[in-house]
Amino acid sequence: MMEIAGEQMRSAAPAMGEDNGVSPAERRERQERRTALMLISPGVLWMTLFMVLPMIMVVYVSFWTQTTFTVEPELTTDSWVRFLTSSTYLASTWTTVRIWGIVLLSTLLIGYPVALFIGLMVRNQTLQTALLVICVIPFWTSFLIRVIAWRPMLGTEGAINMILMKLGIIDTPLTSLLFSEFAVLIGMTQIYCVFMVGPITFMLSRIEPSIIEAARDLGAGFGRIFFKVILPLSLPGVIVGAIFVSVMVLGEFATAASLSGRKVNLLGNIIVSQVGSLKWAFASVAGVILTAIIAVVITALLRVVNLRKEM
Amino acid sequence: MEARVLKPVLGVYCAAFILFLYGPMIILAILSFQGPGGGPQFPIIEWSTYWYQHLLGMTPPGRISRLPIGDSLLRSLTLALMTTVVSTVLGVITAQGFRARFKASGVVFYLVILGMIVPGVLVGLGMALLTNMLGIDRSWWGTAFVLHVVYTFPFAFLVMLAIFNRFDRSVEEASLSLGVSPVQTFRRVTFPMIFPGVLSAMLFSFTLSYDEFSRTLFTSGRQLTLPLTIYGTFSVEIYPNIFAFGVLTTLFSFTLLLIYALLMLRAVRSAQSFKGQEEAE
Repeated sequence: MMEIAGEQMRSAAPAMGEDNGVSPAERRERQERRTALMLISPGVLWMTLFMVLPMIMVVYVSFWTQTTFTVEPELTTDSWVRFLTSSTYLASTWTTVRIWGIVLLSTLLIGYPVALFIGLMVRNQTLQTALLVICVIPFWTSFLIRVIAWRPMLGTEGAINMILMKLGIIDTPLTSLLFSEFAVLIGMTQIYCVFMVGPITFMLSRIEPSIIEAARDLGAGFGRIFFKVILPLSLPGVIVGAIFVSVMVLGEFATAASLSGRKVNLLGNIIVSQVGSLKWAFASVAGVILTAIIAVVITALLRVVNLRKEM
Repeated sequence: MEARVLKPVLGVYCAAFILFLYGPMIILAILSFQGPGGGPQFPIIEWSTYWYQHLLGMTPPGRISRLPIGDSLLRSLTLALMTTVVSTVLGVITAQGFRARFKASGVVFYLVILGMIVPGVLVGLGMALLTNMLGIDRSWWGTAFVLHVVYTFPFAFLVMLAIFNRFDRSVEEASLSLGVSPVQTFRRVTFPMIFPGVLSAMLFSFTLSYDEFSRTLFTSGRQLTLPLTIYGTFSVEIYPNIFAFGVLTTLFSFTLLLIYALLMLRAVRSAQSFKGQEEAE
């Protein structure tokens, strides 16, 4: 803390001198820039050493030669050929993309009406904040525990089957709820929905009520107001939410590991299992492909709206 | 007229959504009070705190082995504290650096933000490969720790950036030029202004690190952190002791949140009373 105090004082000191005409503005600016570079260098160094370097390593090792238990630094495209010709790996790439698409859509469809209510319908500031806090609180609790909590919900003797049987909707318990793709989808939707609700609510709460009133006075029905006014104005929120959800779902492996009973194998699961059997080069290939998918998705999403302009 | 119908409908929908968010945790909490012979599902054969005692090692050893949380809890707390300190300091000084204009600011901004975007499993893999090549041993306080900071530092940075954006430097300069000593200026002017940001950055860093496991999975070596211990139970049969653990760790998170809320409230109050004084003059 004291360091920061020192920095601020040092940068403030020339400002006092400037009034007396002792130090020219240019020198002050140069001094400030030097201080700024000094301040950002620890962070830049940290990120370069511990994030950029490991990522480069993943790309590099994907071209190494894989033997039974080790990798040798002799460059080859063997691992790539094996990955791209294996139906198992290609299937898991497709599963990853499919699950991402479904979860993105379901978080949007389930989350948007919630955001609409909190951001637009609730005009009481306190209630609005309270509702948003209620939605965000689960984010602060353990992710793994939230995943595990779906097991007693979805199991054959789980809460959902119990309720459905009590209500007389089904006679025999549904066995396909847990340890299936459905379980993974519902688990991910519940866990990541908050990241969609938050940004959309934020954008919706900034809409001037008078704009909607004006549209209504001019005779537009709710459907028309929604598609012509509300939806376009909330689009940046949708995109930010979609980026959050995409990045998290694409890098996932824990939900699939816990809820799918090994039926769903995402690229993340492939990486984990390959590392487990010391197949470093294959794990790296899966890693590079995952990185490429994420990069494409984010670039595509950023194409939809210019976030810098909108925010 | 449509809006009059829509609002209550959306209200009910919102309530259902909140139930969807909290339902599984509520069921989990109820099931954590399962009796000794009961399984991880309904019906509750007998209400008891057996699984809490089981978790804390207060029951005689039986068929079901205890969750090895003791050491891993200590490791996770230490790791979270280390991460909090380093990422908050990094976040504050980097955001402070961004107050001045410099050429590479765009690149640096994205470099830092990338830390929260890159999937944990990828940086974890990269770090494992790097240490393999360099022949460095992996440990929770070394390789896992630096990755935790990579993840939490961007959050701290963004929070502090938001604070500094609203920060009026002339107030600081006014204080100094009025002859208030630098130490007093920091204590009375600068610190109260950045305090809510520092507090939020610390909360973010601690919670995210305490819960982080995808970055830890390949990098913690033999000694497991708390989330890794939980992750280990994913592949085996689960018992209500993990539900009991879930309840306790959730209560711990809520306690942290409550402390944060109280400290924030105090900061806001003192800022308001300061404003009140100004207006009175």
